[in-house]
Amino acid sequence: MIQGMLGAFKELDATVDAIDALKKARLGELTVYTPTPRHELEHAVHPPISPVRRFTLAGGLFGAIAGYWIAIWCSEYWPLVVGGKAIATWIPFTVFSFELMVLIGGLSTVAGLFICAGIPRLTMTVGYDGRFSHGDYGVWVQCPPDKLKDAEAILRRCGAVEVRGAQ
Amino acid sequence: MAALAKPENDMPRPNIAKAGLQLPAVKDYEQVDREIMATLRPTKAWFACLLVAIFCLIIGGTAWTYQIHEGLGVAGYNPPVMWGVYIVTFVFWIGIGHAGTLISAILYLFRAGFRTTIYRCAEAMTVFAVMTAGLFPILHLGRPWKFFWLIPYPNWRLIWPNFKSPLVWDVFAISTYLTISTTFLFIGLIPDVATLRDAEKNPIKKQILSVLSFGWRNSEAEWRHFARAYLFLAAFSTPLVLSVHSIVSFDFAMSLVPGWHTTIFAPYFVAGAIFSGMGMVFTIIIPIRKFFKLQHYVTLNHLDAGAKLCLFTSMVVGCAYMVEFFIGWYGGSPVEQQYWMNRVFGQWWWAAWIMLTCNMILPLSLFSQNLRRNPSWLFILSFFINLGMWFERFVIIVPGLSHEYEPWQWTGYVPTFVDYSILIGSFGWFFMWFLLFIRQLPVLALSEIKEIVPPKLKRVHHHPPEAPGDFEADTPGEFA
Repeated sequence: MIQGMLGAFKELDATVDAIDALKKARLGELTVYTPTPRHELEHAVHPPISPVRRFTLAGGLFGAIAGYWIAIWCSEYWPLVVGGKAIATWIPFTVFSFELMVLIGGLSTVAGLFICAGIPRLTMTVGYDGRFSHGDYGVWVQCPPDKLKDAEAILRRCGAVEVRGAQ
Repeated sequence: MAALAKPENDMPRPNIAKAGLQLPAVKDYEQVDREIMATLRPTKAWFACLLVAIFCLIIGGTAWTYQIHEGLGVAGYNPPVMWGVYIVTFVFWIGIGHAGTLISAILYLFRAGFRTTIYRCAEAMTVFAVMTAGLFPILHLGRPWKFFWLIPYPNWRLIWPNFKSPLVWDVFAISTYLTISTTFLFIGLIPDVATLRDAEKNPIKKQILSVLSFGWRNSEAEWRHFARAYLFLAAFSTPLVLSVHSIVSFDFAMSLVPGWHTTIFAPYFVAGAIFSGMGMVFTIIIPIRKFFKLQHYVTLNHLDAGAKLCLFTSMVVGCAYMVEFFIGWYGGSPVEQQYWMNRVFGQWWWAAWIMLTCNMILPLSLFSQNLRRNPSWLFILSFFINLGMWFERFVIIVPGLSHEYEPWQWTGYVPTFVDYSILIGSFGWFFMWFLLFIRQLPVLALSEIKEIVPPKLKRVHHHPPEAPGDFEADTPGEFA
């Protein structure tokens, strides 16, 4: 069972203060909600670099190879023989390689986003509130029952306009 | 942190970009949601425009049905002019589709601030323009139901398309462009759809929006992956924009037709595409900002910056026209020289001069700052740009085919009512989708606009707040 405390904030600097204080107190894992990406929050959370780039690289390389492969394979299978011209020619086939690199690389990037961000999500997670997509910031701290009081105190001290527990 | 603007009330104010404050009349995130979501309410004008668009589409659909029944002969083709209005319009719509990705991807990578408020419209315009363009090669086929023969799919005859043909390159380039542009638009929409979901009261609509938003919940981790994915999609889209119209230009440049077989075509087509796309952006965004009262989001500074881009690409295109003409003379080929004289001073002079006037001469007015910051003039000019760019493609395609090497091949070309009806139908198809889009989804990007609105702060920062009367009249700001 997930237990934790959620604080809703109107101000950005109050949210940053709460993140700093909760990290210092080591109460549990934090999830921060924000209506728009803010560098201040990213600096406070200090997350690892997103691995989405690996999906992009893998997809792009696969696409580039697949583009050459499909053009060469089809041309060899059904050759259109014109005197003096090679069956498999790399210059026109680079067009297919490039296009498939972009296509598969782009779609892999989206797949990477979905996998890393955990979407599509069928149900709303505990601790989310609709106001976080409009104007408010939220900090959810997942912690054992004996630390809920401490989490609540920190959130209130930092200026949360609403604090509530959830399980 | 930038100082917060403090308008007296919620009424939009004259909007001046100042250092660190791009939209001074937008005071908080709630205002962004409230004003932009208000565009989703249908109005009588919206219904009227939609009806007109559907009527135009019906005209085009009827003409196509007639053409399928009677054959391609009703379309005004006159051998050897076997590429006419359909291919002209195909290139025209592909060009329109370029400004969207330019604004959303290239200007994103260059951190151009003025893109933020106009890119959603431009992206949607791109997707619908490419959808429209994609119809024309099919319309142009004698047996349109065989269009899939260009796709390398496994078949019992074990034959495959010719991968050395620019027409097959086109199939790959345009389908890739449509897929990536649609993906780019859709990914950017996810956080905004989540905002709509959270504001929605109707349970059925809320359920639909929940599915479309993929359960997005605005967590910092989601934003981090989102920002990285968006960056890479932009990085992929940037060379894609340049490649697609280059490949479309290869349809012409790879042939030996006089006036087509030139190395200048790829950059010339790309610049023309961006120019025409910016023209269509003005055609769309200026009425939207006026009728939805969004002048304090799409400010005069943003229009000014867009007009400068338009002016620059107009000059690139103008330079390409001059170079083409010069090389036609300087190259010394009598066939090329004949072709160019016929194009500019002969049989097709009227089309060539419409093109030169609309694309080279009228955009020079944008050297005037007053005209760059005059939405009415930009709107009127955008029509001339659209007209001029359609005629640019006409002037490239028809005079080339009607004046080839042998005098016995020389002929004319007159489009028929079927050509015109399908051209009108294409505008109906494009605007129908666009109007449906602006009714269902935010026409400006909620989450990105919030990024440039100063956040609420608990502690007072040492920036004096703007006094209510401090907003200047619209004068050049940081983007001007």
